[in-house]
Amino acid sequence: MSGIIEAYNLTKTYRVHQKQPGLIGSLKGLFRREYKLIQAVENISFTIQPQEMVGFLGPNGAGKTTTLKILSGLIYPTSGRAVVLGYTPWERPDSFRRQFSLIMGQKNQLWWDLPAEDSFRLHREIYSIDRKSYKNTLDELTELFDVKKLIRQPVRELSLGERMKMELIAALLHSPRLLLLDEPTIGLDIIAQITIQNSLKEYNTKKGITMLLTSHYMKDIEALCTRVLVIAHGKLFYDGPLRGIIEKFGQYKQVRLRFAGDQLPANLNRFGSVSATGPIVELKVDRDKVASALAQILTQHTIVDMSVQDPPLDQIIAKVFEHAKTNSVPREFIETPQTA
Amino acid sequence: MPQVSRYLTIYISFIKFSLITELSFKINFLIKIFVELLWLSILIIFYEILFSNTDNIAHWSREQYLFFIGCHYMLGGIIESLFLENCANFTELVRSGDLDTYLLKPIDEQFIITTKKIDWSTLPNIIQGIAIMIYALAVNPKWTFELTQFLMFVITFTCGLTITYSFLLMLCSTSVWIIRNQSMMELWWLFSTLMRYPKEIFNDSWAHSIGWFLTFVIPALIVINIPASTMIRKFLHPYSVLWMGICTGLFMFASRKLFKFALTSYRSASS
Repeated sequence: MSGIIEAYNLTKTYRVHQKQPGLIGSLKGLFRREYKLIQAVENISFTIQPQEMVGFLGPNGAGKTTTLKILSGLIYPTSGRAVVLGYTPWERPDSFRRQFSLIMGQKNQLWWDLPAEDSFRLHREIYSIDRKSYKNTLDELTELFDVKKLIRQPVRELSLGERMKMELIAALLHSPRLLLLDEPTIGLDIIAQITIQNSLKEYNTKKGITMLLTSHYMKDIEALCTRVLVIAHGKLFYDGPLRGIIEKFGQYKQVRLRFAGDQLPANLNRFGSVSATGPIVELKVDRDKVASALAQILTQHTIVDMSVQDPPLDQIIAKVFEHAKTNSVPREFIETPQTA
Repeated sequence: MPQVSRYLTIYISFIKFSLITELSFKINFLIKIFVELLWLSILIIFYEILFSNTDNIAHWSREQYLFFIGCHYMLGGIIESLFLENCANFTELVRSGDLDTYLLKPIDEQFIITTKKIDWSTLPNIIQGIAIMIYALAVNPKWTFELTQFLMFVITFTCGLTITYSFLLMLCSTSVWIIRNQSMMELWWLFSTLMRYPKEIFNDSWAHSIGWFLTFVIPALIVINIPASTMIRKFLHPYSVLWMGICTGLFMFASRKLFKFALTSYRSASS
């Protein structure tokens, strides 16, 4: 089955003006400009199948947004090839643009001084949506995002979370097959984040839409994506299941124990690093040794409560980014698609 | 035809939304209209002062030149109401990366970028321009209505409008490379100022080459001169009309090509 997104060796290089500091530097720049080539994206290849929800991770400046912009046809790659929904994205035919949406958390596409419903009607005209489908889809989406009562309120008077929900509705009104999301929950409170995550998940289950999502909130990624692409310094560093990255880089598990009585047992540090707060102890135990460590503790002590968890995804991803900074891309992490 | 009706419906939405937006800031709206009226008054006073000292300017009589001013005012009003704000804002769209949201829509980019906002406060300039032209014709005892002449005026005026719009589009397209493009917009004001003089003032020997340049290289002089001459002076040189037609075609083609080419260099500022 061919992918809904196929990227082959995408590379994007920017020529960026380098200005020396101060007034003299500015004056020199009038006569002789210095430029530096920035490799925003370097030989990235991947394929995304229909209905997948894929997380696109990387530190700031890694090349995530640049890749999304290439895939949505906003910018041209310096080299490489991409096929999105069967089209070359940067040719931007209308038939291509009707089939996807790109949401950018920091950009607003709705008319600021008008109620969102007016912008939705304009979308209906631009995307040539027939009135009946428009009404049904709008009803469905306003219910899904729980904003039925807000669509007649000027956009400027909505909260950030409500505005993002309206942006998502506008992006989904024409029932796109592909949704590209760039930091959709940036700046939102935890309740708004969870509502948006749940709504997107429900929408994916109902409609089978394909999603490629960048986010610095690992909760978004955990909630929505089973597969992740990790990019660092413009290069694809990991392409595989989210679980795989946790197992590879989260070498330890967090074991939380509450012992009976006030006295904490000695020598717990033989299982891993220990931190204690009152009768509660948190152990960082090597992933392979969790079972034997627990067996020993349970036979030797009385435990009132316990839990075993993976370390927070944020910590694992930070470790991945750190690793990517100092290491070249391990080829076994990436399944390179066949070059067409 | 369905495409024409689709674009028309979208444009009607732009008109409506722009008006709603303007009216929600009514004091600003009223001040803008007042300033436009002030501009017109200054122009008419200046014109009256000129003609209190002379009977004609470069063979244009008082009534004829008043028509010329009305014609310029109407064309300026159309450009400023429908396109200028959009084209000036293009620089900001490029600089901020907000152009992204326009490029993602399944619609002609030039259409949505150059027509999205209508400046309602300068729309009365069009009516004022028409009123001045009608008055100038009414007070001119030598002028009589002829349908062919009127149709030729409409055609040449539309050509002038197209040349002006295309020139503006070419200037704003350069924003993609220059990013901060105020100097290019200053060129627009220069073009607009040059349009409002009769080309006969460049007949003197040393000014002749400037007149030639402003007719054949940057054809600012033909934009108002040809339609106004057609209507009020019943003077229609076939070569002038032919040149106007060629200029219109060339400018339309070149501006569209340049705009499309500029979009290929768009870098989309980081989100």
